[in-house]
Amino acid sequence: MVENNEIELSEAEAEQYDRQIRLWGLESQKRLRASKVLIIGLSGLGAEVAKNVILSGVKSVCLLDNEKLRETDLYSQFLAPPDKIGENRAEASLQRAKALNPMVDITATTKGVDELPDSFFTEFDIVCATGLKQEQLERINNACRDSNKKFLCGDVWGMYGYMFADLVDHEYSEEIVQHKAVKRGPDDTEKNARETVSITVKRRAIYVPLQNALSADWSKPELRSRLRRGDPSYFVMKILLRFRDEYNRNPDPVKRKADTAILLRMRDELVKELSLPAGFVSDALLYDVFGTVSGAAAVIGGVIGQEVVKAVSQREPPHNNMFFFNPVKCVGFVELYGQ
Amino acid sequence: MNALDNRVARNHVNRMCLAANVPLVETGTAGYAGQVELIKKGLTQCYECQPKAPQKSFPGCTIRNTPSEPIHCIVWAKHLFNQLFGEEDPDQDVSPDTADPEAAGDAGQSALSSEGTNAGNVERKSTRAWAAETNYDPEKLFSKLFGDDIRYLLSMENLWKKRRPPTPLVWDNLPGKDDLPAQHSGLPDQRVWTVHECAQVFAASCKSLQADLKGRPDGDHLVWDKDEKSAMDFVTACANIRAHIFNIPLKSRFEIKSMAGNIIPAIATANAIVAGLAVLRTQSILRGQIETCTSVYLRPKVNHRGQLFVPEKTLTPPNPKCYVCAPKPEVALACNLKQLTLKDLNSAFKEGLNMQAPDATVEGKGLVVLSSEPGETDHNNDKTLEQIGLNDGCALLVDDFLQNYEVRVRLQQEDEEKSWRLVTDTDAPMPAPKEESTNGSNGANEPKPGPSRSRDDSDSDMEIVEEDEDEPVVKPPKRRRTEMSDEVVELC
Repeated sequence: MVENNEIELSEAEAEQYDRQIRLWGLESQKRLRASKVLIIGLSGLGAEVAKNVILSGVKSVCLLDNEKLRETDLYSQFLAPPDKIGENRAEASLQRAKALNPMVDITATTKGVDELPDSFFTEFDIVCATGLKQEQLERINNACRDSNKKFLCGDVWGMYGYMFADLVDHEYSEEIVQHKAVKRGPDDTEKNARETVSITVKRRAIYVPLQNALSADWSKPELRSRLRRGDPSYFVMKILLRFRDEYNRNPDPVKRKADTAILLRMRDELVKELSLPAGFVSDALLYDVFGTVSGAAAVIGGVIGQEVVKAVSQREPPHNNMFFFNPVKCVGFVELYGQ
Repeated sequence: MNALDNRVARNHVNRMCLAANVPLVETGTAGYAGQVELIKKGLTQCYECQPKAPQKSFPGCTIRNTPSEPIHCIVWAKHLFNQLFGEEDPDQDVSPDTADPEAAGDAGQSALSSEGTNAGNVERKSTRAWAAETNYDPEKLFSKLFGDDIRYLLSMENLWKKRRPPTPLVWDNLPGKDDLPAQHSGLPDQRVWTVHECAQVFAASCKSLQADLKGRPDGDHLVWDKDEKSAMDFVTACANIRAHIFNIPLKSRFEIKSMAGNIIPAIATANAIVAGLAVLRTQSILRGQIETCTSVYLRPKVNHRGQLFVPEKTLTPPNPKCYVCAPKPEVALACNLKQLTLKDLNSAFKEGLNMQAPDATVEGKGLVVLSSEPGETDHNNDKTLEQIGLNDGCALLVDDFLQNYEVRVRLQQEDEEKSWRLVTDTDAPMPAPKEESTNGSNGANEPKPGPSRSRDDSDSDMEIVEEDEDEPVVKPPKRRRTEMSDEVVELC
């Protein structure tokens, strides 16, 4: 993955990335600089992810989208200017994306994922997909997996959002800070200075593919016990992915009434299927899943962006394997599914 | 919505929002962490309800006489910069401190006699004047700062009974002179210079800073800036030369920049998350759901319940004894009335109470003690509080019209207090965060100086921190908002 790890950063790069290097170190920055990232789906969330990844200083970012920019995108998609409505979303985002960081090579591709061969996706070190159907996500995930490439996906529906990560077999280093007493003088007994020493430990995390996480068996006791926490976020995600699979779109604010009815029906089916307690996924939750709320896109896009940085820099423990943002409580948490 | 990078500005907006009774969404990030907090008069804590850990400061004698850590040398080097090129501040003296209680008895007598000049604190011309006379000759400056002054310190024998004594340096014979260039991978700034290299950089930066100073109008001075090359070079070189003398590990320019510049790195992702959370909280406020807007903490890593964003369960009500947002704010000022001047009092209000333009009158008498009107009370500046008739138990009404803020300040006589100290009615001020224990200084047993002298020149976008409801550790009052400067040492 890391091709030009040995080449030193230029002065301009050292200056541009100064603060990041202070946080995650030079090695991480070099790894970032060698990484090629694919971002699929230039919605508000895609734009947030793209912005974060571009600012982090990767080698290249490819924006892939076959949809046209719509007026509703403008509420959250800050990379595409309003005068480009009707144009391809990826192309419409290109100019502002490039302006964020001229040191990153940024391109746009207007094809749909179904038109592209597996080999297209595996040319990148990491793929970040939004707005796709479950089968599309699984296909790309498995293609990445077979080539040992990393895969992330996520979505924002209204104020609600999730992220999934499959980093396959991921090795990373983690810095652990320890305190150590040091002696400075021959008889320096009382006033020992203490130093913080950080040691780096190598760790490894094994991931499962998306289909495992999405078909988690809720009859198993370890998952049943999760219900006690009372957070329905996983099921909200399932319902919304099903909606998209069935209708080939997200719930539409213009068809709010009809779409809400569909969502409630899907919720009932899911509750029955997984024998969930009645009322576990409240009606109110499904009223708030229309459009993309910019604040939620920033939140989920921030989390996904950080996971891209962790994944390619191989530093700090990445989330394994799902993150959910529950806007009702403003809580964001990580859970492992499908293992 | 606040996205500020320093405490002073946050205090100010806090007071403006309290005065206007407008909700304030206060935000910050530091590295991977961040927080969003609602401040609403009468409903929640205000920004100043909990005393904050003071900015880290070090006892003068540690800095001047007995440094034991890199940060001591860096602080000394910044003081030296100000003494030579910046705004001279008597509290930033860099010469040996003969008043060090530890050295009592042998205050450099031998050195005094052998040198035949008075090198102590008294009757000595200012470092700046002396440097100017030598035309900032690097070799002469070096010999005084890293030779003579160190020998003087050595003569204070009591200091070195339990410490490893420092080693004075000679300009012509510095370690590392004949070293071959070391193999180094990493940024050029991450390589640690040899002492010889430090001396070269010291000489070059002195000359360049002198030229800069010369080019300015009379009386003007330089302001230290971590992003100014010569200023940063100067501090790196001086801090490392001093560190070598005291057998303290040397640091790279990169590391010293973090420590000297109080850099808290900000990253796009944490900023995006906190900004997003702030927007969502704001939308809730605008929808009339202000009661649901508890503080949310973005953690650097998930907690044991797997949470990355941790909301508090309830809003934290105002501290009824807060000297800012209480209905009738009150605070005590401990000081020695026989010594504290009106000028000091003015700075106590500005630095201690974060006022911009304080006006003070004596309660019950209406006598104006301090006026924010320029010149109105300046003639009293050097009088002590006792001289203008203030005594123990006296109360002042202090008002800042810029902040629409008035507080009643009770004066509390304390003979031992060298400067001043605020005594809030709340519990003891929050202990410094854990990390600080790594900075144990030699002055641990000495009385703490009242006000923190360090300026808030942080580069941070933040100030933070999380409190972890899940940790069973008993933490005296909620530990939040660890100040940015507190984090600095951790970063290195």
